[in-house]
Amino acid sequence: MTAVKTTETAAPAGDIPPALPPAVTGGARERRRRGSAFDRSLPYLLLAPALIAILWLIGWPVISVFVTSFRQLNLGELVRGEIVWTGFDNYATVLRDERFWDVSLRTLVFTVSVVVASVGMGLGIALLMRVLTPWVRVALQIAMLCAWAMPILASTTVYQWMFDQNYGILNKTLVRLGFDSFAGYSWFSSGTSTLSVVGLLIVWQAIPFLAFSLYAGLVGIPRDLYEAAGIDGATGWQTFRAVTWPEIKSLLMMVTFLSTLWDFKVFAQIWVFREGGPSGESTTLPVLQYLEGIAKSHFGVAAAISVLMMVILGLITFQYLRKLLQTEEGKI
Amino acid sequence: MAVSGCGTSTNSGGGAETKEITVWLMDGSAPTTLTDALNKEFESANGIKVKYEVQKWTGIQEKLTTALASSTPPDVIELGNTQIAGFADQGTLADLTADAGQFNSGEWLGGLKDSLTLNGKQFGVPFYAANRTVIYRTDLFQAAGITTPPTSRAEWIDAINKLKAANASNPDFQALYLPGQSWYFLLSLIWDEGGDIAKQDAGKWTSTLDSAQSKAGFEAYKALYDASATKKAPADTDEAKPQQYEVFQTGNVGMMIGLPWELGSAVKDKPELKEKTAAFPIPSKKAGSSAPVFLGGSNLAIPTASKNAEAAKKWLALLSSKKYQDMLAEGGAVPGTSKDTSKLETNAVGKALAASAPNGKVTPSSPKWGAVEAGQNPLKDALTAYLSGAKSLDQATKDASDAITKALG
Repeated sequence: MTAVKTTETAAPAGDIPPALPPAVTGGARERRRRGSAFDRSLPYLLLAPALIAILWLIGWPVISVFVTSFRQLNLGELVRGEIVWTGFDNYATVLRDERFWDVSLRTLVFTVSVVVASVGMGLGIALLMRVLTPWVRVALQIAMLCAWAMPILASTTVYQWMFDQNYGILNKTLVRLGFDSFAGYSWFSSGTSTLSVVGLLIVWQAIPFLAFSLYAGLVGIPRDLYEAAGIDGATGWQTFRAVTWPEIKSLLMMVTFLSTLWDFKVFAQIWVFREGGPSGESTTLPVLQYLEGIAKSHFGVAAAISVLMMVILGLITFQYLRKLLQTEEGKI
Repeated sequence: MAVSGCGTSTNSGGGAETKEITVWLMDGSAPTTLTDALNKEFESANGIKVKYEVQKWTGIQEKLTTALASSTPPDVIELGNTQIAGFADQGTLADLTADAGQFNSGEWLGGLKDSLTLNGKQFGVPFYAANRTVIYRTDLFQAAGITTPPTSRAEWIDAINKLKAANASNPDFQALYLPGQSWYFLLSLIWDEGGDIAKQDAGKWTSTLDSAQSKAGFEAYKALYDASATKKAPADTDEAKPQQYEVFQTGNVGMMIGLPWELGSAVKDKPELKEKTAAFPIPSKKAGSSAPVFLGGSNLAIPTASKNAEAAKKWLALLSSKKYQDMLAEGGAVPGTSKDTSKLETNAVGKALAASAPNGKVTPSSPKWGAVEAGQNPLKDALTAYLSGAKSLDQATKDASDAITKALG
């Protein structure tokens, strides 16, 4: 309510004149306010079923994970239906394990690298699409749609074969090109190398969505802005800085935010490649959670890892969330 | 459902009112001829229906967890022999020690019995087992002048060298296909040298992978890995990535260490291999005997929460009888509750299986072992690190030993 009041007083005093004269907007609001209590609550009543369903579907599992993280819940407790509260024991177990810190750091580095690479390349392709001749662009779009439509495990299998030590096309090609040391080279002999291959796969899988989203933002920028920049003699880079960047900045932030969420919790690809190996060197937080929760049947500990993952994710995206809330407030 | 006819029946005393029992067996474990006959006989003898369901191995751990947590779990379940200790430890399986007599306990296969025994109590009934044998190409052996299958490790390496010499013109030839993480085979070698994965002392498991005997097992693996000169066998994957029978199918492989179904799959796609393949037990370093093998297989158990435990026991007793055990053997598996394997020994693979099964061993029957296998297996990591030269033998075995002690502790 406070937000609404602030805007009402602030709107007429704003720098930019509103599209409608203040009197008209104000009049409309006045009329709505005078309606009956039913009229006023109607929108909320109409929204309620959907809201309750969403809260139930999303909120309940989150609460359940949170509650579970304070319980000792192994197979035995689960089967017998016992409830054993252990306070912060699960958190202590996780946080005292030095492996958790290694894995968290690795997950952060991995997420940041993959997000930067995928958003960067997505933006590059989006910019490229705008200057391509139509038929090349359509061909590119179809190719990206195909990549996008490919099921995760199918493309992961394809990558496994491409990078296979003996039968992989990559090693064979490199040998043909004269790099003989790549004959029988193992791309999965270290954690860094394994995660690089997985990262490449994830970037490849993410680019279509990012490129399409950003392209949609780019086509929305009026052509005359570019013409004006051209008349002013701006270089390509200057045009990008002055025209393109301000227009797509918020969109770019949103896709970066989404990519962070997605890439942080990647599991299937990493697990399928080497199950977090060799020697656990490509284990990320979701893999650790699986190892604890499913492999060892320590569901309480796994829930604690989940909660900690949410905290870490909250910290990474804190800046964006704050900006998001601020702008929303400003717009209401 | 008919099962819950009487909601108040107690766990053990529900036998009288039982109208139906639910049995979960795994995909590909018992031939349908066996289960059809067994269920029919059971139904007509007891007037209790059998709801027989076949489960897939993929994701079975999760499925069993949810099924056992429900109020009406299945009455008989099949568990992999490395899974059972974990489920038993959590009190989810009925203690069958007192009933073992009616399940033919005198004839139980030793390795399987070990796997279902926890703190001296039996939580299941052995079902069937299979173990790895050396599957080889008879035609290639003949061409290389090897007349009888090797019966000692030295002879085996000798055979590898002869095969290599005879096929020197084929750059893709592999005398023995041995990927770097074939850890079940590593266990054979470790046991053959007198080592073991871990030993139990006053209830606590300590890994003995860094003992001199266990290290000798690793060295024997490397000797075979190097001798087979499998430039093409990757050091960092196991026998399932790629499936080794697919590699065997290419025709460029002289031998592989595999399970009967792997030969079956190879032959199914390439029928011409059928006449050219046979098997021999994994040779020991001691001439004339075969090495201990890892006994893969399944046990049957009754969930604690089963309301029809008495009827389930009757079903298990019937399955343990010689008639059905013979049918299991006929289907190509080592039967769990009968020492008579004559029905299995009708072909070379069956003979090799039957010869090595009594010598079969299992992984530590610690409730925590399942996590070692389901997660990141330190044995595999140690093998890769040692074979690729990333770690010395001492370092690799010490790391694996520490990891396993920690996991089981």
